Amino acid sequence: MTGQAPFGTFHMTRTAGLWLLIGLAGYALLPWYMVAGGFWSLRWIMAPLGDGASGLTHSLQGKVWLALPLTGFAIAAVAVLGRASQLTTARLLVLAGTVGLALLVAQGLLVLRDGPRLALLGTASQTGMGAGAAVTATGLLFLLTTGISSLGRGRGDAFVTGLVGLVVALVAVFVFYPMAFVLVRAFELRDGAGFGISQFLPRFFDPNVWGMACFRGTGYCGPAINSVALGVMTGAGTTALGLAFALIFTRTQFRAKRLLRVLTILPIITPPFVIGLALILLFGRSGTFTTFFADAFGWEKTRWLYGFWGVWLAQMLSFTPIAFLVLIGVVEGVSPSMEEASQTLDADRWQTFRFVSLPLMRPGLANAFLLGFIESLADFGNPLVLGGNFNVLSTEIYFAIVGTIADPAKAAILSLVLLSLTLSAFVIQRRWLGKKNYATVTGKADSGRNAALNPALRAVCYGVALPWAAFTMIVYALIVFGSFVKLWGVNHTFTLEHYKRAFAITIRNGVHFTGAAWDSYVTTLTIAAIAAPLTAAVGLATAYLLVRQTFTGKAVFEFSTMLSFAIPGTVIGVAYVMAFNFPPIELTATATILIIAFVFRNMPVGVRGGIAALSQLDKSLDEASIMLGANSFTTLRRVILPLMGPAILAALTYSFVRAITSVSAVIFLVSARHNMATSFIVGRVENGEFGIAIAYATVLIVTMLAAILALQALIGRRTLRRADRVEAP
Amino acid sequence: MTKGSVRFEAVTKRFGSVVALKPLTLDIAPGTLVTLLGPSGCGKTTTLRLIAGLETASEGRILIGGQDVTHQSATYRRVSMVFQSYALFPHMSVAENVGYGLSVKRLPKAQVRERAEEGLALVGLAGFGKRLPSELSGGQQQRVAVARAIVLEPEVLLLDEPLSNLDAKLRRHVREEIRQIQQRLGLTAVYVTHDQEEAMAVSDRIIVMKNAEIAQEGSPHDLYDRPASAFIADFIGDANLIDVEVSQSGADTEIALLGRRLRVALPPVPNGAAKMVLRPHQVRLTRDAQGFALPAEVTYAAYLGNQIQYTLDSEAGRIFAICAPVAAPFRPGDGVHVTFDPADVRLVPA
Amino acid sequence: MKTTFSVSALALIAAFAASGSAAQSLNVVCSNEQDWCDLMAQNFKIDTGSDVAMVRKSTGEVLAQIRAEKGNPKVDVWWGGTGDPHLIAASEGLTVATDVDTTGQLGWSQNMTAISEGRAIGVHVGLLGIIYNTEVLAEKKLSVPACWRDLAKPEYKGEIQVSNPNSSGTAYTELATLVQLFGEDEGFKLLADIGANVNQYTKSGSAPGKAASRGETTLGIGFMHDMVKLKKAGFPVEIVSPCEGTGYEVGAVSVISGTPNMDSAKAWVEYVLSPEAQSRGLEVGVFNIPSNPASATDPEAPDMASIKLIDYDFKTYGSSATRARLLTRWEAEVKNAGGAIEN
Repeated sequence: MTGQAPFGTFHMTRTAGLWLLIGLAGYALLPWYMVAGGFWSLRWIMAPLGDGASGLTHSLQGKVWLALPLTGFAIAAVAVLGRASQLTTARLLVLAGTVGLALLVAQGLLVLRDGPRLALLGTASQTGMGAGAAVTATGLLFLLTTGISSLGRGRGDAFVTGLVGLVVALVAVFVFYPMAFVLVRAFELRDGAGFGISQFLPRFFDPNVWGMACFRGTGYCGPAINSVALGVMTGAGTTALGLAFALIFTRTQFRAKRLLRVLTILPIITPPFVIGLALILLFGRSGTFTTFFADAFGWEKTRWLYGFWGVWLAQMLSFTPIAFLVLIGVVEGVSPSMEEASQTLDADRWQTFRFVSLPLMRPGLANAFLLGFIESLADFGNPLVLGGNFNVLSTEIYFAIVGTIADPAKAAILSLVLLSLTLSAFVIQRRWLGKKNYATVTGKADSGRNAALNPALRAVCYGVALPWAAFTMIVYALIVFGSFVKLWGVNHTFTLEHYKRAFAITIRNGVHFTGAAWDSYVTTLTIAAIAAPLTAAVGLATAYLLVRQTFTGKAVFEFSTMLSFAIPGTVIGVAYVMAFNFPPIELTATATILIIAFVFRNMPVGVRGGIAALSQLDKSLDEASIMLGANSFTTLRRVILPLMGPAILAALTYSFVRAITSVSAVIFLVSARHNMATSFIVGRVENGEFGIAIAYATVLIVTMLAAILALQALIGRRTLRRADRVEAP
Repeated sequence: MTKGSVRFEAVTKRFGSVVALKPLTLDIAPGTLVTLLGPSGCGKTTTLRLIAGLETASEGRILIGGQDVTHQSATYRRVSMVFQSYALFPHMSVAENVGYGLSVKRLPKAQVRERAEEGLALVGLAGFGKRLPSELSGGQQQRVAVARAIVLEPEVLLLDEPLSNLDAKLRRHVREEIRQIQQRLGLTAVYVTHDQEEAMAVSDRIIVMKNAEIAQEGSPHDLYDRPASAFIADFIGDANLIDVEVSQSGADTEIALLGRRLRVALPPVPNGAAKMVLRPHQVRLTRDAQGFALPAEVTYAAYLGNQIQYTLDSEAGRIFAICAPVAAPFRPGDGVHVTFDPADVRLVPA
Repeated sequence: MKTTFSVSALALIAAFAASGSAAQSLNVVCSNEQDWCDLMAQNFKIDTGSDVAMVRKSTGEVLAQIRAEKGNPKVDVWWGGTGDPHLIAASEGLTVATDVDTTGQLGWSQNMTAISEGRAIGVHVGLLGIIYNTEVLAEKKLSVPACWRDLAKPEYKGEIQVSNPNSSGTAYTELATLVQLFGEDEGFKLLADIGANVNQYTKSGSAPGKAASRGETTLGIGFMHDMVKLKKAGFPVEIVSPCEGTGYEVGAVSVISGTPNMDSAKAWVEYVLSPEAQSRGLEVGVFNIPSNPASATDPEAPDMASIKLIDYDFKTYGSSATRARLLTRWEAEVKNAGGAIEN
């Protein structure tokens, strides 16, 4: 029998002591400011008084304000070493963390490169914070959360409070802080007259934004109305298609599931503009299909593609896989025994599906719809290529920032409109889901088989999904074809020239990667590979907190994690440049800013997927683990994560792919040294060099496909039942 | 020696504005099996989860083994739990499930395997270790859950409706096993159920809860024989509750029933309206009146082999009776007289 | 477990901290075609020995970025792209004057330098023109346009594509050209008449040319050097230089105010003005007219001598006030006056 000391003063002071040491080490040993050549070059070690000077060294060298965070550590030391009661110690730790962090943030915001904001600080100046400051802040943060947990919050679980603290801090720094820079602009008065509310409301409710004239047939609708209409159509469409694919996968014995799987993934890994271009070549006024129908049936060649339906079609192609990825986990998770129960109650397969399986998939459906809606609202590439005169908020925002007359206030206001739409969708989704329990993977093992689909439903699924799959296949065949011909659409002579220009390797005095694309290709893959696991980790951790833990301000917390997703990439890009170009946090022109942008922009997908998957895992599984002496972290690692294989896979895949294919935020954040593939492709497309653009896109698609298959093999599927059985039809 | 004792000192629990537990004080002696019994929503599960550490008390102190654990997280409490749904980890084998708590404590692998096997043997599942939970029957899964909880040798074993997913026959068998294991290991066990028969069968002591507080506690016999309220009398075993008037309370209580006076023993209740508790098997039926008798009419008769159950209509209301089988049972429509031994009668406040 | 948690937390921090900031060499943001950008970066390194980091962004994006980075720029030089944003950047103090000698350059280049007080130097010029798809034109039996006024003919209804001056510098150049050519009221009337034939106001200035090359529209308005490129690529298109005369854009190079690499930045500016560098554009299909008279040009490239050019007033039409006024008027009199007939 192993003795186990009760968690109390001992555990608390041990944990707090650890963070105190880490924080102090960061303060005294690591370089406080960013160092030339990057932290990992480790060159700063050679210059302990110069480039590599720690906070301690700097404060002794005259930057006295850097001694402020020491106050926090001093209080913490009293708490850890003193022999006060548990309550007093906990309160001291909370005080230590709060004071230390507040002083750290205050000095960062007050003392800038060009001098302090307050005259009484003299001529103090400093550059962007580096590793030392980050570790110091982390130490203080966890001292604070350890203190809070010892006050009895979060069931006294230091891991949970620490995790909440970490996510809140990260979201605050990397979502709220930069967004504040942009949103302040919404209240800017025209002609530099300062700030005020007087112009905000009229501009927010401007009929040019909310106009509904198109429904009366008398003109254009405002971009807000267009965005909503498009978002609802795309959300509903992708959810329905995603469900059809998910059902075919889990409930039928369809033979070519692997092929189908690849097809459902393809659009998500396609760089922007490529789908739009392919659609133009197929359905444009001179497109292949258009010409065919014109010749065969005498149909008039029209430009229908340029507008609502074209954008919708492209978005359906682009976003159906997202719905599928969300839904497949959910559909797999519906417990066979519930379906069996229904069938034993004399329900036929259709009734079983309609009244048992479908309602159990509600969280998945709601999440899929929400994601589709938000993706559609934030989508920028497709409306740009196919929008014609159909304006949506995302393109309007982009051109308000980069257009001939830059109007940041308009961009900020339209961003707020977009945000309010997302917020509404979010609230409606919550209402619809209500407080019902959708857990179907309980600790009671179940060995049944998933009910097969009834013939009519199966026919519908096939009827919807298979033509769609064929369509996707045609689009992609065309894309590959386009990369091997001289001039797509005009001169179809076979050539390898595009690939050579992009990916040539010269072997002469060693191996030289001389192709134009190599540089951005390597950068892109490296950054995506770093961003993906971080995104998945932050996203799933957040989902875990939201589903499994209760803490004050949870609803606000949940919404704030959705924010960065709802804001169009363009706005995020500009916000990041505005916020992170100056001390205290100076990240522009680094790879880090790209990674961070990806992590916090794609995190909501991990969160939504995680929530859907977790709400299907019965809470008693966690509780059982906790009761068996495991702490929250062990429970997460050994019980929850293994059962969330598909959700993790989805989060990893999605964030990896999004880091490679997203463009709108990236355009502002790429720098000479860290160029990204999409930025490169967009440049080529703008220049009309479709050949090299799609050759590059094809290589990226193949790369991502390989990566996804590798991930799948690595993470695999849950083994809840010995075999994945589907009842024979 | 307080090891294994559980003590609540004025513990309350609120979820928002909902009171889940009114100030509760209780003591559970080491080595006993105590059942929390009551209808759903009575606070019994909340009480169990407070002992487990899965909920934090809003006020009051909780002590386990004499130590204040009010703010201690579930992880560090030496308490194990068997869940209603069993909560077996579906991705782990049976042996991994049972050994989970041990491996979490970083015990050497060989020792974990050995003790998991011992635990499985204890519940009669030796050799099932390699299977997945989904390959076991419901009863077997339940036993795995018990094994998983007891290999940790907890101070207190909690069981949350452990039998509710089993069929009636298996239920009796498993509850005997649980009781035997508990007694063999000398564990303190807290058992939550809404099934009074199950509670009576396994418990040293029963705590009946109603509306977020204790209605009555005592040994099964106490509760059955000396119910403190109509609720307990009805909840613990069936009871006919008949309105009476207590005219003189004391050592020898006199009650008035339908205008007739009757002397009964035990227990004293205040003068005025009260309810008389008459257990179904204490009801005697005769064709003819002999002394004190209530005229009644048989409305329903059910022959169950070892007994006959009657439902009767009388002036005092509906009466339910259980009689030994006889050659010529009463039939619906027969007029009968209900009599009973005044010594059997118990009184509870109206 | 605490340790595992700490390790992962530290890894996260390390990832955030792992980045350098100070640039060691010249950072150039390029608004020309990617190939041209890459070619010049490579040749600059070969010819001068200095390393250069190059990224391509459109002019609007560059302007938004250097505004956001004002005071602490992350790029040193902005090369290429239409001149108006360069002039705006100059007037907002985002760029800084270099005393690079421009006396050897063509007149319009020196003109640009003078307007911006040396902050933006003209490096090449692009002429405005009309493109049409020969196949579609023949199929629809439409006449070949020769002048701006021809575009207002009713037969072209729904066949013309132009970019939106609110988002595209190309379209603004066209707007300003017609206003300068015909006077403001007459110019707007013509724009409205052409507008009645427009099928789509595209966001991007080069989109109408590309759409015409693929037959998505019959006619488009844009810059001729883009059109030459499309024609050379093999698309069935022809280019028209309007009979009334046409306007042009001047591509510029600017040094960003506050650059820590002034010397290298100056070297870059001098380099892109040199005939050796400018002649190289032909290697990657650049058909702009270079600023240095000594630079080589392609025979198919538009020849400034044979085309009727207007005397484009960059000072007036590049100013923010004029721009805002003209765009407001365009919004009211052209965009809302019909046209854009699809939807």
